[in-house]
Amino acid sequence: MNRLCLNATYCKGCLICVEACPTGAIKASGRINSKGYVLPEEDDMRRCTGCNLCETVCPDFAITIETADGEGG
Amino acid sequence: MKKHPMLKYLKEEGPAGPRLPLIMCPGCGAGQVLNYALHAVDTILQEDALRKEDFVFISGVGCSSRLASHYLNFDSGWTLHGRALAVATGAQLANPRLKIVVFTGDGDAAAIGGNHFIHTCRRNMDVTIVCMNNGLYGMTGGQVAPTTPIGQTTTTTPYGNVEDEFDLCRLAQTAGATYVARWTTAHPHQVIKSILKGIRKKGTAFIEILSQCPVHCKTSPVEMFRNMKKITVPLKKSTAGPAAGKIPVGEFCDIDKPDWIERYQKIMDQLSE
Amino acid sequence: MSNNEILKPGVYYLQGAQACLEGAITAGCRVYAGYPITPATEIMEHAAHRLPRLGGRFIQMEDEISSASVLLGASWAGAKAMTATSSPGFSLMQEVISFAIMTETPLVIVDVQRPGPGQGYITTGQEDVMQARWGHHGEGSIIALSPASVQDMFEFTIEAFNLAERWRTPVLVMAEETVAHMRERLIVPALGTIPIVNRIKPQDMGIAPEHYLPYGHAQVPPMATWGEGYNVNHVSLVHHEDGNVTRYNPKVHFENVARIHRKIEDHVDTIARLETRELEGCRHVLICYGSVSRTGIEAVLEARAERGIPIGFIRLHTLWPFPERQLRDLLPDVDVVFVPEMNLGMMAHPIMEALRDRCRRVVSIPSLGSLHSPEMILARIYEELQ
Repeated sequence: MNRLCLNATYCKGCLICVEACPTGAIKASGRINSKGYVLPEEDDMRRCTGCNLCETVCPDFAITIETADGEGG
Repeated sequence: MKKHPMLKYLKEEGPAGPRLPLIMCPGCGAGQVLNYALHAVDTILQEDALRKEDFVFISGVGCSSRLASHYLNFDSGWTLHGRALAVATGAQLANPRLKIVVFTGDGDAAAIGGNHFIHTCRRNMDVTIVCMNNGLYGMTGGQVAPTTPIGQTTTTTPYGNVEDEFDLCRLAQTAGATYVARWTTAHPHQVIKSILKGIRKKGTAFIEILSQCPVHCKTSPVEMFRNMKKITVPLKKSTAGPAAGKIPVGEFCDIDKPDWIERYQKIMDQLSE
Repeated sequence: MSNNEILKPGVYYLQGAQACLEGAITAGCRVYAGYPITPATEIMEHAAHRLPRLGGRFIQMEDEISSASVLLGASWAGAKAMTATSSPGFSLMQEVISFAIMTETPLVIVDVQRPGPGQGYITTGQEDVMQARWGHHGEGSIIALSPASVQDMFEFTIEAFNLAERWRTPVLVMAEETVAHMRERLIVPALGTIPIVNRIKPQDMGIAPEHYLPYGHAQVPPMATWGEGYNVNHVSLVHHEDGNVTRYNPKVHFENVARIHRKIEDHVDTIARLETRELEGCRHVLICYGSVSRTGIEAVLEARAERGIPIGFIRLHTLWPFPERQLRDLLPDVDVVFVPEMNLGMMAHPIMEALRDRCRRVVSIPSLGSLHSPEMILARIYEELQ
């Protein structure tokens, strides 16, 4: 199963990644970082296809996907 | 934990401390455009015979221009408002082998930089212009810009904008640019492909990207991102004229024409015989 | 000039404008960008002919602002670059000059001065000499030279490039229409005798890219060229030595700007040049610069010969940084300091400040739009002293 890798320091909680995800594998969490930004988190990563749209559309280089085989998406 | 693959192209830390996260507001389109541009450069570095040191990023002033301020792990120059293209021209004259990408905004390119914008296109200088159009002046607080729609309220048009807006792509094309495209931040793969094409192609490439400014538009990043596809229409499907109400996106122009350096080189070669 | 080389040693008869450009290319200038303006256009036209013959590139830009901006990119990409303009264009270039000072970018701008304000006229003048120092917004010092002959146009332009490279700064050649348009003999010396200075690069100091600080290592930081793997970010916001602009603090701000200021001002004695004549035992002195020095020396020699007036002569080769200490060291206490200028009195002010306790009064001798004749200067000297 693929894994969401989030840099909580860089994330600004815009949640565009959640919007861009075509399968709804990630969602907004209830957590905030030290700046008060709402972080994304895994919802159901079985839905994640490794398309890497979340990584591509992130304005802050904060999110990427590690595929089950340990390589990139 | 795995890091974002494009971070290898950014300066995260340094003797004077961390430089990231980017100074942009949450959900600002400029950061997305940087991500797309770096994806394009990454592909080129893997596939073409170009090295990292062949690239130079030049910007003017404004939110979009902050992309080339001090974040890039490339040669870069954060220059004067509106004059990035003139600086790029100078770099090209000194070293035509450099691959120049210019980050600019709608105000930087079309207002104060308007003159240099049209002349760069006319000369077909070999630069790739990545223009983030948010329809206003973001850095200074949300003033009207040459790309603000008529009727829009901004801090300097509190009673509504009385001016029509530029179509930047038509401007670039008329002025002589040889590759012209418009997309939005919600078209990541198309933007990456266009920037790739622009860098690989000789001559002036102008890529306009409608880019959201959530703060001054007082709309959430997600809503603005979602709306991008609603307010645009693919070029082939667009009905003519602004009456259609939607902004055409796509490739407006993709022609071949010798660039300035190539033409001048002929003279240099003749003189040295 | 239809050959593909820099001027060989020998004697030439050239216009000042041509001599200026020949000096530039002798110094290694290979990028020229410009915009037409009277009375500087001849420099640009000569550049259009000569640059491509020497492997350089010339471009006529759409205005003066972009012309000056071209120099920034060219310099960062490793070239020596120049533009020439006149007074109204010089006003347009001030933002770029300010930017070049902050980013410590070597480049040369020639201002062939004409009268102002506004369109003024198209004859000669020295009305931009204060603008040279104070026209750019913000702090930071600058170097400005004042040629007085066709020979100077050649030599001072080479010197301007050398100073720009040595001190990592924009350098101004404050010419005048008189000097740009006159035709005179130029003697080009044996090539080995002309020193050519190039910027120090981090490679020269054994600094690897991963350790390079774009604004560090020395009071004049070594300058990396684009395209050589140094990943240099040029920024003009106040910055740390590593080019970081976040984490603003007043201490870093002060250190950044004060260093740039002191980089020039600490070295006035090395940078600034002047020439003197007949200073021994003088009771008065005439201080001048540029083409006025051609008639100024005539007036001084005649006053001495015809009426025995013990008046000396000083010609400033460098207007900025202003050589205050050198002036004070060279001069005894004097009675009257005469300052003929093609303006209403500009350099008279730093002169007054420098010699405030060393003379009884400073007398400006103004002329607008045309060169003083020796008689004009003499008339004022005699009026004042007799």
